[in-house]
Amino acid sequence: MSTGIVPPSPRWENYILESGPNLIEFFGSHFSTARDVCFILGKGFDPRMCSGVEALIQIGGKGRRDVVLVEYDEGAASPSNAYQGFVDRNLKQLQELVSEKAISSRSVKMFSDDGRRTTSRSAEGLFTSIDEFKPYGDVVVDISSMPRGIYVPLIAKCLHLIDTSGRKDLNLHVIVSESPHLDGQIYDEGPDETADYIHPFRGGSDREGSGKQPRVWIPILGEGQVVQLKRIYDLVVPDEIAPLMPSPSLDPRRGDDLAYEYRELLFDQLRVEPRNIIYASERNPFEAYRQLRQTIGHYQLALAPLGGCLSVLSVVSTKLLSVSALLTAYELKQAKINIGIAHVESQGYRADDSCFETKKSQAVLFGMVLTGEYYA
Amino acid sequence: MRESRNPFRLRASEQIETDAMFIRLFEPSMLELLPQEGLWDRPQILRSAPGAGKTSLLRLFTPTALLNLHTLRTHDFGQALFQKLSSMGAVDESGPRLLGVLLSCARNYATLEDLDCDASRKTRLLYGLLNARILLATLRGAVALKRLDYPAGLSRIELVPKSEKKSEELANIPTNGKELHDWAMQLEATVCDAIDSFGPFETAALPGHDTLISLLVLKEREVRIDGTVVADRLLIMLDDVHKLTQRQRESLFPTILDLRPSCGFWIAERFEALTTNEMLSLGATQGRDFGDVILLEQFWRQYPKRFEHLVMNVADRRAGAALDGEISTLAGCLGDSLEDSKGTEKHREVLAKIKDRVEKTAAGNSVFTHWLIAPHLYKGTAREQALAWRALEILMQRELNSSQRAFDFSLSINELEAKDGSDVRNAADLFISDEFKLPYYFGPSRLAALSSSNVEQFLHLAGDEFEELVAQALLKKEPLLTPERQHAILVKGAGSFWKDIPRRARNAREVLVFLDSIGRFCRWTTYQPNAPYSPGVNGIAISMADRERLLTGAKPKDRQYGKLADVLASCLAQNLLDATLNYKCKGANWMVLYLNRLLCAHFGLPLGYGGFREKKLKDLATWLDPGYREPKKDEQLI
Repeated sequence: MSTGIVPPSPRWENYILESGPNLIEFFGSHFSTARDVCFILGKGFDPRMCSGVEALIQIGGKGRRDVVLVEYDEGAASPSNAYQGFVDRNLKQLQELVSEKAISSRSVKMFSDDGRRTTSRSAEGLFTSIDEFKPYGDVVVDISSMPRGIYVPLIAKCLHLIDTSGRKDLNLHVIVSESPHLDGQIYDEGPDETADYIHPFRGGSDREGSGKQPRVWIPILGEGQVVQLKRIYDLVVPDEIAPLMPSPSLDPRRGDDLAYEYRELLFDQLRVEPRNIIYASERNPFEAYRQLRQTIGHYQLALAPLGGCLSVLSVVSTKLLSVSALLTAYELKQAKINIGIAHVESQGYRADDSCFETKKSQAVLFGMVLTGEYYA
Repeated sequence: MRESRNPFRLRASEQIETDAMFIRLFEPSMLELLPQEGLWDRPQILRSAPGAGKTSLLRLFTPTALLNLHTLRTHDFGQALFQKLSSMGAVDESGPRLLGVLLSCARNYATLEDLDCDASRKTRLLYGLLNARILLATLRGAVALKRLDYPAGLSRIELVPKSEKKSEELANIPTNGKELHDWAMQLEATVCDAIDSFGPFETAALPGHDTLISLLVLKEREVRIDGTVVADRLLIMLDDVHKLTQRQRESLFPTILDLRPSCGFWIAERFEALTTNEMLSLGATQGRDFGDVILLEQFWRQYPKRFEHLVMNVADRRAGAALDGEISTLAGCLGDSLEDSKGTEKHREVLAKIKDRVEKTAAGNSVFTHWLIAPHLYKGTAREQALAWRALEILMQRELNSSQRAFDFSLSINELEAKDGSDVRNAADLFISDEFKLPYYFGPSRLAALSSSNVEQFLHLAGDEFEELVAQALLKKEPLLTPERQHAILVKGAGSFWKDIPRRARNAREVLVFLDSIGRFCRWTTYQPNAPYSPGVNGIAISMADRERLLTGAKPKDRQYGKLADVLASCLAQNLLDATLNYKCKGANWMVLYLNRLLCAHFGLPLGYGGFREKKLKDLATWLDPGYREPKKDEQLI
């Protein structure tokens, strides 16, 4: 890949992002005409698994409503196995919403036969041809109950298939049910001993040939991820670190709390310059996307005399913000700019018992449209 | 990035940005790990848990580090290191004599295994990538060693054949540095672009090699710049080899041996690369064609004093590199005596309570009449007397428990002195600390011991202590940590270490339950009133025969232990347990598994080695599920 390139003008400068009642209103309007929809969601124990499909079904509208259930087996040692009962409950709810005939499933191979993590490459291969979306006008990917290692390559592949096919009429939606309260009750356990890049976003970081280029690491911060950040650092070994803090946020102290939580790691160990910190609204991934692009563009320009830089994003934050990293990486990769997404997978997830008692109404459904008629 | 206020926080070698700082912080005694012979002509393997210092060791031999060392050789912090490396032939007064090429395998090699092609094709791609990277790194290193600009200096490099003999495989490999660089860049880019693209893609068209021809190139050709040989020696260092797949490792190791490289070839990897069987066999195998495998933690465990010397020197180098520079030594700031006025007052109270208790136990029992008037009980400081009385209490319990005591003959003072050994005194010290909440984990020696032979673990603990010293210096107080503060900081560090286990280890839940079982068992055994295994127990052992059953799982009834074997391997890989094989005891051979010393602090156990209890596999299996159950009071000590 060539280096020192300044990013092109942003693809998602204008965007569709709605949440809560506004999203329901948008869906109501969008699906008022007959549309065939392919709804992709993850099979898991998260109580928000069916929130998106439930909203879509309740809105009504004519056309097919097919569901592709993405299954992933985290292995016998996964702490998530303790919640099989809740997975079954979610499945039952799904079957009540959509007829069984309309539900198909695809599996992500989380580990190779010799025990290596293969999640992201397998997720990238879930859909191999645009023909698989031929019957549909809308593809909705609900990431509420999918791990990052799955939805990042999955959405990237959908974008790739749509872009390379020239189907400008196919609307790609991404929806996520966000609840800081619930997110705080579900946490990953047993992270992999080392970080890796999410396929296909290695970004040239592996190459000996680019060994002299400065590396810029932009971690998008969320709570309780010290170990993950350390492991990603060990993988990236950056020359410059520019953490992205979620601010403004619903909890006005969240940024301060994060700075306090990561004080030792960021400021004592990694000696991050406070002026390198960038800020973006925790509830607008497109704003974060703009900030990320701008930051990378700035570094590309500043380091152009050295042949540009390698930028690495990592998402240890909410799913909503993680979409910003995906959009940035996808767009810059298309522009032949070296960009990677580094990540640490976990053996599984553990949830506080109270998480299953939490009312789903505490979660807010966010939806965004990435391709299709609104961008034509 | 900013200067560091607390340089102990710069743990990994990678976090130390400049080579000058790296040289300043590198402690020469780390080089004691390396063998005296065969260093430059036999492949060497270094293995350890994370944080033992492998990458730092390798980094020292890279061109920029050696150049910096040469520049700084007259400074206080550079002299010893320069002399050590001079004696090894890596550097001399004229400059570096060694071209060290460091390559990490934590790249996309393992990804090759996921491609949709046959195994031989994958191997070709692996060697293709390795060849490209070894040659690129060698060329870049040569340019750096001669302080030339990269990539402009490449055109001054020639790879000149050493003899008339030329391998056919090298016919198409360029001899000019610039051309070879472009060739390798192209090879790497082609493979990397393909594997980083949206699939599926055609693998048949990708370039690759059947072997490590880069080693053949470096064997048959000399790297020269402007006609002069770049260095006397060439050293290829592959780091993070654990990131390769098992199949790739199994292919790579024999390939290296088959090629018999003319240069040094070091391989560094974490234990996690090893299978459960290999993990449980650590230390049992010696290198054959490779040099002896260097197991970093095990090496330092053999020489605890040398490790203490190493880490305290590391600490002083770090303290000296702090931003304000007010604290030049860590050891000097760690109070290691409990004999100050506050401590004396506390020990008087302790003494009174123990004495009272002992006298009540002895009341009406003529057996201990002479013991109670032993002169040493009334000599020395309050602390010394408290220890003596607590030791007496332990010995009295032993006598009272003894089933062989048939007659109430009074025991003599000589008998007391014979039984009152250092192990009993150490147990007394531990018991007093535990009962009266007095500091136990303090002072440089125990700080080093708590590190469990792992430099990163040491830096973590020492960093916590240094943080408080920096705060004291800021408040214009004397930078001195009392034993109480040290104990509090280290126990808190042990708690964090414990809480962190689910985030570190594979099979985290089981690992936690298993370690908790060991810890509680050791604690229960240690704190028996008669201190039966003084100064205490902090490990378990299984017979070598039982270990063999874990390894093979050949018999159907042994398959139930598969989970136990995996959990043990996970504990060993993360340095949570430390194994000693073939330990002879009670006429049998044992595999002793000691708790990480920081876990000893978590469970309030002593830090010495040697205190362990033998266990059966079936017992350990129950320690996984449902977990260790403390015996009821009327049950015998197992």
